[in-house]
This record gives sequence, C-alpha cells and structure tokens, in this order.
Amino acid sequence: MKSLVCLKQVPDTETQIKVNADGSGIVTDGIKYVINPYDEFSVEEALKLKEKFKAGEVVVLSIGPDRCVEAIRTALAMGADRGVHVCDEAVNNGDPFVMAQTLAAASGNIEYDIIFCGHRAIDDDFAETGAMLAELLKIPQITLVTKIEVSADKKTITCERDIEGGKETVESPLPCVVSSQKGLNEPRYASLPGIMKAKKKPVDKKTFADLGLTPDAKLVSKNFSMPGSRQAGQKFEGMEPQEVAKTVVQALRSEAKVI
Amino acid sequence: MANLLVDERDAKFVLYEQLNIEELCEAETYSEFSREMFDMVLEAAQKLAEKELAPTNVEGDTVGVKLENGNVSVPPSFHSAYQKYCEGGWAALPISPDHGGQGFPNVMYIATMELFVSANQSLMMYPGLTIGSARLVQLYGSEEQQRMYMDKMYTGEWCGTMCLTEPQAGSDVGALRTKAVKRPDGTYSISGGKIFISAGDHDLTENIIHMVLARIEGAPAGTKGISIFIVPKFRYDDAGNLVDNDVSTMAVEKKMGIHGSSTCALNFGEKDNCIGYLLGEENQGMKIMFNMMNEARLSVGVQGLAQASTAYMHALKYAKERFQGPEISTMKDPTAPKVPIIQHPDVRRMLMWMKSVTEGIRALLYYAAYCEDRIHAAKTPEESAKYQGFLDILIPICKAWGSDMGFRVTELAIQVHGGYGFCREYPVEQFMRDCKIASIYEGTNGIQALDLVGRKIGYKQGLLFKSIVAETGALIKSAKKNYRLKDIVEPFETARNHLIEVTRYFGLKSITEDFMTPILYASPYLELFGDVAVGFMLLWQAVVADRRLEELYGDAKADTEEKKAELLKSNRSAAFYRGKVASAEFFANTILSLASGKARAIMSGERSAIDLPEESFALV
Ligand SMILES: Cc1cc2nc3c(=O)[nH]c(=O)nc-3n(C[C@H](O)[C@H](O)[C@H](O)COP(=O)(O)OP(=O)(O)OC[C@H]3O[C@@H](n4cnc5c(N)ncnc54)[C@H](O)[C@@H]3O)c2cc1C
Repeated sequence: MKSLVCLKQVPDTETQIKVNADGSGIVTDGIKYVINPYDEFSVEEALKLKEKFKAGEVVVLSIGPDRCVEAIRTALAMGADRGVHVCDEAVNNGDPFVMAQTLAAASGNIEYDIIFCGHRAIDDDFAETGAMLAELLKIPQITLVTKIEVSADKKTITCERDIEGGKETVESPLPCVVSSQKGLNEPRYASLPGIMKAKKKPVDKKTFADLGLTPDAKLVSKNFSMPGSRQAGQKFEGMEPQEVAKTVVQALRSEAKVI
Repeated sequence: MANLLVDERDAKFVLYEQLNIEELCEAETYSEFSREMFDMVLEAAQKLAEKELAPTNVEGDTVGVKLENGNVSVPPSFHSAYQKYCEGGWAALPISPDHGGQGFPNVMYIATMELFVSANQSLMMYPGLTIGSARLVQLYGSEEQQRMYMDKMYTGEWCGTMCLTEPQAGSDVGALRTKAVKRPDGTYSISGGKIFISAGDHDLTENIIHMVLARIEGAPAGTKGISIFIVPKFRYDDAGNLVDNDVSTMAVEKKMGIHGSSTCALNFGEKDNCIGYLLGEENQGMKIMFNMMNEARLSVGVQGLAQASTAYMHALKYAKERFQGPEISTMKDPTAPKVPIIQHPDVRRMLMWMKSVTEGIRALLYYAAYCEDRIHAAKTPEESAKYQGFLDILIPICKAWGSDMGFRVTELAIQVHGGYGFCREYPVEQFMRDCKIASIYEGTNGIQALDLVGRKIGYKQGLLFKSIVAETGALIKSAKKNYRLKDIVEPFETARNHLIEVTRYFGLKSITEDFMTPILYASPYLELFGDVAVGFMLLWQAVVADRRLEELYGDAKADTEEKKAELLKSNRSAAFYRGKVASAEFFANTILSLASGKARAIMSGERSAIDLPEESFALV
C-alpha cells in the first residue's frame, strides 16, 4: 500500500500567538512548531496500512520554509520512508489554492494508492486544501474520516466519516484523497531508533521552478488582528432567586441581545 | 504558556548556547549525532513526558503501590506509561550501540531525564535503577551474564535494583550482614534481609534483577569484605526455565512521597534456595559500586532539579492567574482593581529565587554530564583527566546542593500558592513530598559533604579544587571586560575568594589536632561550594545572554530604555535573554553576597555542636 501524506508544520497549539506590528502576520520569533495534529493522524494511518499490507511506502510531502524539514523528519522518525519538501518563497505562505496546486504538481512524480490530508490545518483553519487537491487531480475525496478499511486488492476503500450527530459510511475507488479527522487513530510516538534511522532517510527538496508552475493565488490576506479582550462578567447578588432570574433574563434580552 | 514540566527554552540555552554540545559531534564517539537529532530527541521526550508520564503522576501518589499475597503491584496507569517509555527506546539512550543502546551523549540523557522525572519521579525510579544496575553488568559481568541479564534490562523487559541497605547498615554500608556461601558449582547461596529497596518488587516486568551487596563467608569485616551478586527474582534452571529464586517481599514502606515507587523489605534465602551469581571478583563489591556512583548521584540530583523545574513552572502560572489584593501603591483604596499576585514584590522575589536557583541547578547538572561526555570525547589524556577532575569534585555538589535547593524551590512553590498550595487540589505539595527523598538516599547529603571535604578537596594535593579555581578565574577575567556584568562578576569573585579562603582554612585544620572542624562544617562548606559552582554557571550564562541581548537591541535599534522595554514585550528571544541576565544578577546579589557570612560562620570554628554534652541538648 503506497500512501502520500500531505503534512503541514504549524505553531504548537500551546504557543501564545502575537500579531506583528503591521498586522501582516504573526510574530514568528521563538514560536515552537509541530506537525499539524490532523496530519499526525494521517501519518499514523499510512503507517498502519503499510504494516497491514506488509508492503508499500509512506511518502511525506510538505510545503514551507526550511524549518519544515523538522516536521518531515519527525514523520520519518515515526516510520515514514521518505520526504519531499517544497520550499519556495513564492509558495511558503500561499493560499489554499496555491497549496493545492503545488501539492498536485509535486504528487506527479510519486506513486500512491491513497493521498492523506489533514481535515484542516490548525493555524489558518481553512480546511480547503485537501478538497482542492482532489479536484485538481480529478480523483474522489472522502472528508472527515474516522475509520478506514482498504480492500485486499487495494482497489476500493471504505471509510467512516463524521456527520452531524452520527457517522456515515462511504465507499470509493482508489486512488482517492482522504482527510483525517480526530478519532481516526492514536498517533505513535517517534522512538529513539526511529530518530536515528530518520537521519538516513532521503528528503527531496524542490523549488517552484522544479515543479514548473506559477502560483495562482485566489486570496489576499489583508490584515491580522487579535480578538478583542473579553469583557468582565456581571454579577447579580443580594436578591431573591426569582428576582435574579428576572434580572438575568432582562439583561440577556436588552443588554446582551441574545434572546 | 507551553509545558509545565521544563522551561525548554532554558534547557536548550544550556545545551546549545552555554555548553555548545554540538561540538561533541566533532568527536568520533558522537559523530553520528547532530543538533537536529538532539532537538528531535528533546521534542519526543517532552511529548512522551507530557502525554503519557505526567497524567499518571497523581494516581501514582493517591493509589500508590500495593503489597498483596507477597506480590507488589504498581499503580495501574504506570503499566502503559512504562511500556511506551520502553517502546521508544528510552531505557538505553546513553548506552553504546555495542550494548544495544543509542549511544547519545550523557548530557542528552540528563536533559531527557529532567523531563521524564518532572513528569513522574516515582515511575522513573524503575527504569532509573534498571539502567544503573544493567551498567554494572555491562562493566563487570561475563559475556554470559550480559546476554542473560543486561540485554533484557536495556530494553526494559526486565527491571533491576540496588540492594545495599540493611537495618543496621544505612549510611554505614560496611556493616552489612547479608551472607553468601559458595556452592560447589561456583554460584553462591544468598541469605539475609535488605530494607528500603526501591523497585524491590513490582509487576511492571516479569523478572527483577537484584544487585545484592553481601559478605562471603569468612571475608573481612567492613567494606573490604563486600562482594556484589546478581540475584534474579526468577532464575534459570538447568533446562532454561525461569524458576522462583527464593526472594520474598516482607513489606512495602508507607512514605511521605514517591508513593508509586515501591520501597521494599526483601528477604533472600528464607527457604535456603536463593542463588546469587558473583559479579566481578570476590570482595570487590565496594569498588564496583564506586564506579557507578557518579552516575547514580547525578541522577538523584536530577530529581531535585526536575521537581524544582515543574514546581517553578506551576508557581509561575498560578501567580499570573491568581488575583488577590490591589497593587501596592493603591493599597489603601478599597475600589482599586485587584491584580494577579505576580505583581506583588514578595511574590516576585520568591519567583526570582526559584527561577535563578532552578536554572542554576539545571546548568550545573547538565555541565557535570557534559564533563562526562568530554571525557569520552577527549583527544588527550590531559583533557580527559581535566574533565574527570571537574566531574569528581562536582558530583557531591550536584547531588546535595541540587536536592537541597531543589527541595526549597518546591517549598516556595507551595508558598506562592498560599493555602491552595497546601491542599491536594493543587499538585505542588506532591512535588515537595516527592522531592524530599533526594537528599536522603544514594548517600545522605551529610555523607556527600563528607565525601567533598574528606576525599575530593584534598585529592592529589588539592588538584581538583585548583582546577576549579583556575576555570572560574578564567571566566572572571573575561567577564570583567564587560562592564554591564559588573554587578554579577564582583559578588561572584568575592564569593569565590571566600570559598578559597575556607578551603585553605580546612587544609590547615586537617593537619592539626583540630581536624574535627572541617568535618563539623562539611555541610555548610558544601553549601558555599554549591553557591559558587552555581554562580559560576550563571555568570557563564550571563556572558552569553548579554551578548545575544545586545545584538537583538542593536538589530532593533533599541537605543533608549523605552525602546528596549518595548522590544522585551514583543520579542520572545530578547525577553528570554533579559531573564537569563536577571537570574545571574539576582543570584549574585541575593545568594552569593551571603558568602562572606557563610564563610565567617564556618571559620568561627564554633564547636558547641560537638562539645556540648548530650545531656544538655534536652531530655528525651
Ligand atoms: C524511599 C527510599 C528508597 C531507598 N532506596 C534504596 C535502594 O534502592 N537501595 C538501597 O540500598 N537503599 C535504599 N534506600 C536506603 C537509603 O539509601 C538509606 O536510607 C540512606 O543511605 C541512609 O541510611 P539510614 O536510613 O539507615 O540512615 P542513617 O545512616 O541512620 O542516617 C541517619 C542520619 O545520620 C547521618 N549519618 C549517618 N552516618 C553518618 C556519618 N558517618 N557521618 C555523618 N553523618 C552520618 C545521616 O546523614 C542521617 O542524617 C532507600 C531509602 C528510602 C527512604
């Protein structure tokens, strides 16, 4: 089973994010970066498929600046076989469409039965790249996947996916794009022997020119700002319960205007 | 706020900016490694510590170990955490690949241990003792013993213990009575009782390999007649099956802390069927143990460091979140807004003390481990001897100063939390209870002080001490060139001179009939030595941090105080380096400046503690 895992490096969820002075982005100094958590599910699932079929390859594909190699190496330390790193000023901060274009172009030289994307990246939260990638490659996609079953002949895949209030089971021919959702699996930890081996696994570095593409961004981000600070709550004290209830209802209606 | 275990920015600062451990990779021994790999290891260790080990820490404390029908069980959640630890290959991180390990530098072992132990000290006792006892087999065991025991210990499949203590033989190991009688086949029958044996029995692994100190029938009394034996809980019979080896668990102690670590009273040979296999040669037990001592003592120092580290992180978080009282300048105004307690000067003082001391212990312990690596990477015998000297003299300080001051940091963490800190609802009181043992086992801190005064400072006409004097002298000389560091260098130089003076004073006393003075004042001397050793580390760090900070100010064209303050608010690196310089300033002026008083107290030679008749202490 050959899997292509699209993986993004994102700021750790626990990092305190600050917007830079001109509002063009965030302050990157001192940020800790990690593999996008949804992409970790993808890596784990790809490794499991390879283990199950006792054959195949797990290729990790990532777009981003030099530091992305850390994320790729971590996936290699978990057990992936090799990495492809597209690093180009022109795309490192691209919009979802540029990302999808690039992934599509880069996937051209890679053999795969299945492509994994995270359901979304926790930094910009677009949740669009995987879908666009499938469209560009003209292959089916199954989103928000929490369970995967691949037929013995590797021709079809059956997935369970999250829908409002329940699960839906979907079948699709392979190859297809699957977007990983929380609940798919428990990603393994990188082991020390894995880290030692990761060093020797190949990571191909590519520029935009290597892929022969010009970015075609559909989106311009104008400004970043922090959410306004929350207002302190109101306390209603020293009243009878009925009175409190009345006052709260009134406040909700006239001040907060939520009912 | 990131993880609440270890300030990873500071750990990396010590590794890469202070010690520059990447240089180790230039040596043949470590040529396989790189900064990138070290980073990955720290990352992976932190993840495991946070996600698997830390969540079991409270259950370890509240459920603890249980002894039922002669078998000890660990808190249930420990099983999967331990398994993940072993699966990751962590059990043999610094062990050479020739013996099934990964061969990482020791400094990386200590850095990862800080993470793991701060997550769960009790749990880490099991692998901690295992790697220690397996190393003994590696160094002294026969090929057969290595295959039979060591291999399984380095994967964590079997655990190990160190069995020294007996009721009458605690600090005085030489008084032990456990007996070994040679059998015709060359093995030994072991009989006797040990107490306080950590990991003495448990259900984490199917077998436990005890390293037992015992006296062979007819051997001399005292430490000269001690041998060391491999005594498995289950031994192989002739057919290669594991059979019971007559080691029984009589009790597990009920303790102040580390409830998840079993502390066992063990009986060997109750049915006269306990077989021990000699490790090394007869009567070499103490010598063999001595070879393990540096590592073991450093590991116990790490317990002090790790608990201090997580206690500081928790206290800092709490101090930013807890609102109480108005700011001092508006104290009298009842309508003044309440502020987080981190804005109160006394709370800041406590936090600053915790910060500087914790960072100081971290630097000192990492440095000691790094010295060990430099020994392995040395190009010349002189270089190797130099680092061996640093290591030998610093070890009792790492162990005793690290555990004593680490404990004080955990105590302050409770103080910062106020009444909540005293309650189980918050984790800091557990940190303090768990930490306390570090000043007691592996040679009490009193014994460490005697080691320093009795053995280390006089060794080879004071050679080790002189090398520390030279090393600190060189740092002072270069740091003096930077006027911004004046308020750090001066108190440090003064404290160092006091230490030299006291050491000379001890030297003189030891050759007169007043040799009791150095013994009586060994612990205060170790404290002073520790202050200076940590002051050394923090000054070294300040030199590096100040340089980086000035670069950042320069890059940002921050040439006024306002602009600098602005940069510190927006730039994480600048804020970090400013904090490093502050740690050194605070330590120099708050702790090192006490050196003159400490030196005076020691050199008073005041003897009431020894001269006072016992009757005069009090009637008990
Ligand atoms: C939780 C726990 C785990 C332990 N794990 C192990 C283990 O795994 N293996 C093992 O073998 N042991 C273990 N021990 C035992 C531990 O190492 C001993 O408790 C320690 O060595 C001190 O011995 P003791 O308790 O008999 O105290 P004592 O030796 O009676 O000491 C009492 C006090 O007297 C002081 N003192 C004693 N002799 C001198 C001296 N000559 N000069 C100056 N001061 C002196 C000590 O510093 C101490 O303050 C453990 C103990 C505990 C509590």
